[in-house]
Amino acid sequence: MKLFLKFLLLVALFFASWFVLRQVDWVTLLKVKQMTRTTEEKLGNLFWEMLDQTEDIDHSQEVAGTIDSLLTHLCKANAIDREKIKLHVVDKDMVNAFTLPDAHLVILTGLVNESENEAELLGVIAHELAHVEKNHVMKKLVKEIGLSVLISMTQGGSGETVRQAMQLLTSSAYDRELEREADLTAVDFLIKAEVDPEPFANFLYRLSENEEHIPRQVFWITTHPDSKERAENIINYMKGRDIHKKSILTPEEWGKLKEKTASED
Amino acid sequence: MELFERPVAQASGFSYEPGEHESEKASNSYLMSLIALMGGLPLPIINLIATFIFYMGNRNGTHFVRWHCTQALLSQFSLLFMNSFGFWWTVSIVFTDREITSDWIAYVITVILFNVTEFIATIYTAVQTRKGRHVSWWFYGELTDLLCPR
Repeated sequence: MKLFLKFLLLVALFFASWFVLRQVDWVTLLKVKQMTRTTEEKLGNLFWEMLDQTEDIDHSQEVAGTIDSLLTHLCKANAIDREKIKLHVVDKDMVNAFTLPDAHLVILTGLVNESENEAELLGVIAHELAHVEKNHVMKKLVKEIGLSVLISMTQGGSGETVRQAMQLLTSSAYDRELEREADLTAVDFLIKAEVDPEPFANFLYRLSENEEHIPRQVFWITTHPDSKERAENIINYMKGRDIHKKSILTPEEWGKLKEKTASED
Repeated sequence: MELFERPVAQASGFSYEPGEHESEKASNSYLMSLIALMGGLPLPIINLIATFIFYMGNRNGTHFVRWHCTQALLSQFSLLFMNSFGFWWTVSIVFTDREITSDWIAYVITVILFNVTEFIATIYTAVQTRKGRHVSWWFYGELTDLLCPR
């Protein structure tokens, strides 16, 4: 009995030590968040520099400026700090959009050209914005590559590793759960921004239906599997919600955007 | 960990003075767990396996040797649990999307404190048993008495 009490005391001593040490905010004290933030910032710059060197970046008011105004509208309606999002429009004939670490949001002109209306495009932007807000990018990178490799990349790791990580971010899917979370968060963002989420669901459905007939490389669909199921989830999620619909762009602005992206392609 | 050091012939119940060979073997059981502790830090189970192998090799030895091999083995058990939990928690942070929290840092510090205490106690005991002196640890000594009756 005495021995058992001693055992309990030993266990209690361990948990008491842990409990006492838990009272300290080690994360703040050791600047863990700041270190993580620096790593993410460095990774974001690393990927962005690579993209900037290899792709044509659109800086025009008609394309980049118009997409910027759509993003700004979404951010404003959802109290998201627009300043932290680094929007880049890449002039490329691929239906794709992706996010890089440190809130770099990349839209390819092929995606704009494929969108039939601004609500479809806003849906995809909202989906990518959700990945940013939910920190999915770093979660994916840490899971697929590992934190140690990521840190070594920021300290001058091999170019091949950076390329592989880039490939992972631009042309592979997130976890099913993360995609679902991004979809549903996107619906919330859209509703708050007074944009109908249904066209976003239609966009997913349409692209997955016509995948074989679309001449371009539909990266956003091939990298986001189960599109039909996702479209259904979006429709179910928005059921019964009070949705106000308004246009952000004038028909002229949308027309100009479509015209420009079509001619660029 | 509190230590009760007693001359072998007095309170410990060992009715004989252990020979040079016995002292060496008893001391080695602690050294074994020390080396295993250092080598096995990435995989905590290694400590236990190494100490267990040494224990099996000496289970037919003299009482003094068996007693200390048992105490060394038992002391590894508690470390095994706390280190294993900490190890897998760390693995989940490095390889999955789990984040570094103050809870995890506090746990790691606690585990380090217990490991260091065990480390110091083990070195001390290894030195003393090498001199033929009997060292019984708080709790573990009494537990060893139950398993290795005199």
